[in-house]
Amino acid sequence: MLLPGYSYSESLVPYYGTTGNAITDQSLRWSMDNVLPNPPGLEIDTVIYNYTIRKETEDQVDVYVGNENASGTGYIFREHDQWRPGSLDGTEINKVVGVGRIHRDLWGDGSIDVVGNGSVENPNLIYTYRVDPCYDPQYNPNCPGYKPPEIKVPEYDIYDATSGDANQAQYNPDDELYDDEEGMSDDDKEKQEEEEEKDSKERLEKALAAADNSALFAQALSQSQVLDTMNQVTNMNSYYAQSIDGGTYRESIQLTDSQLPDNRRGLRNNLAQQRLHQQMVDEQYK
Amino acid sequence: MFKKSALLVGMMFVPFATSAAEVPITGTVESRCIIQTDSAGTFGNPNAYTLTTKPADGGEPAIVRYDITLADSYYAEITPPTAFSSAPALPDVVTWVGSVEVSTVSDATGMGTYETDKVELGDTDRYDMTATGSTWFKISSTATMGGEKAFAGGTYTAVAEAVCIAK
Repeated sequence: MLLPGYSYSESLVPYYGTTGNAITDQSLRWSMDNVLPNPPGLEIDTVIYNYTIRKETEDQVDVYVGNENASGTGYIFREHDQWRPGSLDGTEINKVVGVGRIHRDLWGDGSIDVVGNGSVENPNLIYTYRVDPCYDPQYNPNCPGYKPPEIKVPEYDIYDATSGDANQAQYNPDDELYDDEEGMSDDDKEKQEEEEEKDSKERLEKALAAADNSALFAQALSQSQVLDTMNQVTNMNSYYAQSIDGGTYRESIQLTDSQLPDNRRGLRNNLAQQRLHQQMVDEQYK
Repeated sequence: MFKKSALLVGMMFVPFATSAAEVPITGTVESRCIIQTDSAGTFGNPNAYTLTTKPADGGEPAIVRYDITLADSYYAEITPPTAFSSAPALPDVVTWVGSVEVSTVSDATGMGTYETDKVELGDTDRYDMTATGSTWFKISSTATMGGEKAFAGGTYTAVAEAVCIAK
């Protein structure tokens, strides 16, 4: 089974491509979504198809190859192969039909319809297409007709809370609000000032603590970034690239002496240890 | 007007001289019938005394394509091989059997009946090319050595002839 295949390019120069076989099963129907790529500026140039007709010599068979019009009724492309009486079974048709660059959006589902006592065998249909990357000029600033996007800042009605007579009254407290303060004794005023000063210090401490926390967090983040950078620079490839040859690794050191004498110092030390051990054993019977 | 004036001046100044010039007129005519070999054939050797293009016997028919751009103006005449163009020494007479048939068309309506309408002129098959487009013909050939004698070892080449004849 041939799968549709296509090429794609990011260049601004128009490029060309060819699909794979659109007919992938015996239903002789296909969806263009499964056949064509989806760049916006795609236009189909040519339809190329071939098949082998199966029929009796005396029969007439009509074969219609086409694509529906996706934006209306009827067909955007339709070929009629009229196999008249006298045309032989097993004859192959190989047809190239230029369609003159029709945009991809107009191409609906495709089909091969056989009318009459016959069938088609080994159908193969491909499309050749052209893609203009600048079909939408906004695709790239280098495309002709490109317009820099305009940033529209939405306009809002700014609400001035201090304007207006009704609100003004709320934010311009009248003198009655301060009547209580004026009626306070000196001690009360002093206590109130102390409390306010205490509250002010607490707020200042909280603010400084928050600032310290932010600085510590930033410092930790900075150190983490430095470590990440160092790790990226470390080149481990030389370690990964090493390999050890397979096979057998045999002992390469050989002892040439035929006789290995005992170590006399070791013998003496061993006897001394044995004597000490015996003394310790004997101690328990004393 | 210009031709007349020039002729008068010439008569006045060279009254007794004669001159002649040969003016070439050239033109190029491109053939509306083009023959292309799509694939050369191959002989298979199913037994010692037979060479054949049958695929079942290891051979491959030759495919020739006619591209016609002017309808109803040409005949295609194709003759399968009747002799080897090069071969080792032949021990006996070779019998040739060949055939030509339409294998592929580019226009079913106009070319679908080419095969049934063909005319056989001896070893040659004549097709009336009534439609524009491309037609592929398949040329098959079988050579049999007389007396069932074996073909000698070597390379054998035979040539089919395809021509386009204007009506």
